[in-house]
Formats: sequence, C-alpha cells, structure tokens
Amino acid sequence: MATMSEPIAPPRSSATSAAIRTRDLTKHYDATVGIDALDLEVASGSVFGFLGPNGAGKTTTIRLLVGLLRPTRGSAQVAGHDVWSQRRAVHRIVGYLPGEFVAYPDTTGRQYLGYLGDLRGGVARSRIDELAERLELDLHRRIGDLSSGNRQKVGLIQAFMHDPQVLVLDEPTSGLDPLMQRTFLAMTREARDAGRTVFLSSHVLSEVEQIADAVGIVRDGRLAVVEHVAALKARAVRRLDLTFVDTPPIEALRAQLGVQEVRGDGRRVHVLVEGSLEGLMRTAGAAGLENVVTHEADLEQIFLDYYTAEGSR
Amino acid sequence: MTPSTIYTKALYDQRRGLLGWSIGIAATTALFVLIYPMIVAMEDIEVLLEQYPEAFGELFNIEAITSGPGFLNAELFSLLAPALFLVYGIGRGARAVAGEEETGTLEVLLTTPVSRTRVLVEKALALLTGVTVLGLVLFVTMIAFGPLVDLGLSIRYAAAAAASMTLLGAEFGLLALAFGAITGRRGPAITVAGVAAVASYVLFAMGALVEEVEPWRFLSPFQHAMGTDPILNGMSAGYTLAMVAVGVVAIVLGGPLLERRDVAT
Repeated sequence: MATMSEPIAPPRSSATSAAIRTRDLTKHYDATVGIDALDLEVASGSVFGFLGPNGAGKTTTIRLLVGLLRPTRGSAQVAGHDVWSQRRAVHRIVGYLPGEFVAYPDTTGRQYLGYLGDLRGGVARSRIDELAERLELDLHRRIGDLSSGNRQKVGLIQAFMHDPQVLVLDEPTSGLDPLMQRTFLAMTREARDAGRTVFLSSHVLSEVEQIADAVGIVRDGRLAVVEHVAALKARAVRRLDLTFVDTPPIEALRAQLGVQEVRGDGRRVHVLVEGSLEGLMRTAGAAGLENVVTHEADLEQIFLDYYTAEGSR
Repeated sequence: MTPSTIYTKALYDQRRGLLGWSIGIAATTALFVLIYPMIVAMEDIEVLLEQYPEAFGELFNIEAITSGPGFLNAELFSLLAPALFLVYGIGRGARAVAGEEETGTLEVLLTTPVSRTRVLVEKALALLTGVTVLGLVLFVTMIAFGPLVDLGLSIRYAAAAAASMTLLGAEFGLLALAFGAITGRRGPAITVAGVAAVASYVLFAMGALVEEVEPWRFLSPFQHAMGTDPILNGMSAGYTLAMVAVGVVAIVLGGPLLERRDVAT
C-alpha cells in the first residue's frame, strides 16, 4: 500500500505552480458532448487520477491536453503553454500514452522507440534499455508479434523515455499483468518524486488510489468532484461477502460505524460499508469469521454516495 | 536500419512495395520494348492500322506506330504506364497520413515536437522519391532494352517520357496525400484523387475527339503529361510547371488544414 504523501511542491522555473490548468475546457462532437466546461488544476509534482466510467469524457479530455483535439470552447495549458496554439512547446515536455496505443507492427520495439526518440531530438539508448529491462520487454521482437500487454509496455516506454516534465497517460495499466502494474506504479511514483507531474486516467479506483495525490471523477462529460485520495477513500463504499463458521452476528454487524446494509444468506453475509472496515472486521473476527471476499469499490457507487453524503449534511 | 526522420521512415516503410512495383514496371516496359520488332514485322500492319476508326487513331497517335518510340507512345504511354503511375501515387499518397491515422499510429507521431506541416511535407518528399524511383526504372529499362531491338529511342526522349509519367503519378499522389491529410480518411482521399484522374483523362480524350472540347483540354493534367507525346517531342515547360504547381498547391493548402483539425482516434 502506498503511503499518502503530502502534495509536493518542487521548485519550478515556470511562473505557474499548476502543471496543468484548464478553463471552461469544452469539446462537443456533432451530436454528443465529449467534455463540458472543465475547470481543473493539477499541481506540479503531483499525480492526478482522472476517473470515470468508459465514455465519460476521459479520453476526450486527455486528447485535448495533448493538442490532438481542438477545444470547442475554453482552453487548457500545460506548464503555461496553451495546448492548441503552442502545441509544439507542449509536445516537447509531455510524454503521452494513448488509450489505444498502436505502433508500427512491422518494426521492432527498438526501431520504433529509436525512431520516436530521434523525432524528440535523441533519447539515450541506455535509457530505453533500462526501461525495457524493468518492464521485461524484448526490444528485438516485431511489435506485431507482441501480446497486447507487451505492446502496452512499448507505449509506456515511449511515454517515459525522454523523462518528460508532464506525463499524460490514458488507461496506462490496461493489458498489463499485476506484476507489471506494480512496476508501472513504481515508475510513476519515481517520476513524481523527481518532480514530474502525472495525469493518468482509469476506470479502476483501486489502481489510482495507490499512487494519486488527488482524483477527479468525471461522469457524462462533467467533472463531478475533485478530491484528495484520502478523503475519497473515507467515502468509498465497499461490498463485502463474509462467511462465518457458524450463524452470522447480523445485528452486531449492522450496528457498526459505516455499515449501510447487511443481508444474511445462510452462513454468508453481504455487507455494504462506507469508509473504514475496522469495527466491522473486529466484530466479525470475534464471531468466527471464516472467509472474506471484497469487491472493487464501484465508481458509480462512490459518485452517488458522494452526492447523497453532500446532500444530507 | 533504424529510420530517424519521418522521411526516411516513410521510405523504409514502402521499401517492399517499391521493389515490387519496380519489378512490375521494368517487366512491363521490357515486354513492350521487346515485342516491338514483332509488330513491325507483321506484313499487314499498315492495312490493319487503316482499319482502326479515325478517332482511335487520333487518341493513340496510331499513325506513328511503326517507329519504335511511336509504338511505345501508342501502346505503353497512352494508358498502361499512366495507369500504373497513378495507382502507385494515389495509393501511396492516401496511405501516408490518412492510413496512419486510420491504423492509429499517427496519434503518437503527432504528439512529438514535429509540426504537423512538417510531417505532411516529409511524407510528400517520400512519395516523390518513390514515384521518381519508378520513373528511373522506366527510363533505365527503355534505355537498356531499346538497343536490343533497334528501338531508335534517344536518351533525351526516353527521359522526357519517364519524367512525364513521374510527374503524373506525383501530381495525383500529392492530391491524394493532401486530401488524406485534410479528411483523415483513406477512402475519400483515393476517391477524390481517382475521380479527378478519370475526369482529367476523359477531358483529355474528349479533347482529342470532339472539336468543341479541344479548347478546354489544356486544363487536364493528362494533357500536361501526354499532350505533347513526350517520347516523340519532349515535354513542354509550361505543362511541366502546371503539374508541379498543382502538387505544390495541394500540399500548401493541406498543411494548414491538417494543423487546425482534430486528429481522429
């Protein structure tokens, strides 16, 4: 489990302390809204997790940030450069991993990365080798022959290899096995510790909460909430299945702080709990807990819960 | 080999295709050169030619067929060679930017600190290089096989004929490249350039046959490439300039439009 560090404010030569800043950033497509009136600031030297269900506007936002889409309205800046009118300045300092990364299938990893490195003014071969070794990627194989997980590694390397000031990563862990996901998280942490800013999207909370300093949740093209990860975790509602050796202590469980719902099913109990599991686990443990299955906190659930919590205050 | 610029990468990517096309063009050209003696040896060739409809003769400049260059002009350079150069140029041009966009590789390329206009220009130069290679193959094949059959083709006119095909392929190839860069889609780029090529050929052909159309023939790139029968008379400077201008204008207009549009996923 990552420790929640205070947002770091490393020395920055640029006048602004926000690495990424959007103002009323809006992208409309012919019939649909990509992202609407996004106001966001991401502090330099922090990791920002951009969360939302598929189709919520994450990829649209990310492609606006790297100058691939022209805003319908509003603007965005990366390190003080406008992402549309000063695109090349942004491209010099950004490493970008697309949501659906595609490289030339008939080139090898080494050729592809060398090519992109040259277009970026030269990237040391040793740096590429180091990243490939870390991600356990064979650079001599044709990209077309690689598994999707290995292709994703090529994508990660091209985003990291020039040590960009800002990393913009769209669903970076998709296709990676759990071990490589951990390697990726470590690389991201190191980049942050070296003063880099990381903006990454995901539809999985657990992944983001391990590294992000702050999280934004986007839904239907609108930014629903920006929160520090600690605050979000405190609100997260988890679904647990508890199995007991004997009859479950349903009433005792229901009395615990944060428990929203308890449903018995023989020796098994389904529980919905918000925030800390401490009280629940202590009670269950004393009553002969045999097995626990936890389910991924549902983003939609967190989102809804956030608003019901706000409303009831 | 690891390509280090967009230009060399584009060339590297077309290396196999270009080799295949070179072999194809060399074989086709050699075949036409080598069958020439058989045609002139045909006893009734004059009678045969007289039986062609007059319009046909006009279009393919068939009365000159009994000379080597005249034969190539009518049989190779009237339709087959232009078609080959057009197919190569348009196919390559449409793939260069729109093809990369459709497969998804453009996404990362356009987030490197290389401007979109620069990407387009380097892709255009790679296309021109490819078409020029095919033009050289055409030229060298004619020069190499010509003497074997007493073709009677001078280096100068062989060069003019090869250059005219190169320019034709380049012009429509750049058109397809520019349209692909503007629309981001290969299909429309091929369609637009292909329809333009067919329309241009129809104008050229009709101009030869119909008196009322003749004054408009100067608008057709086919007239620019083939109107002077380059293998017999060389190329016209004005026509050459017109072909270069169309290609340059396509890229000059395509650059800014590529700069200001959304890149498709």
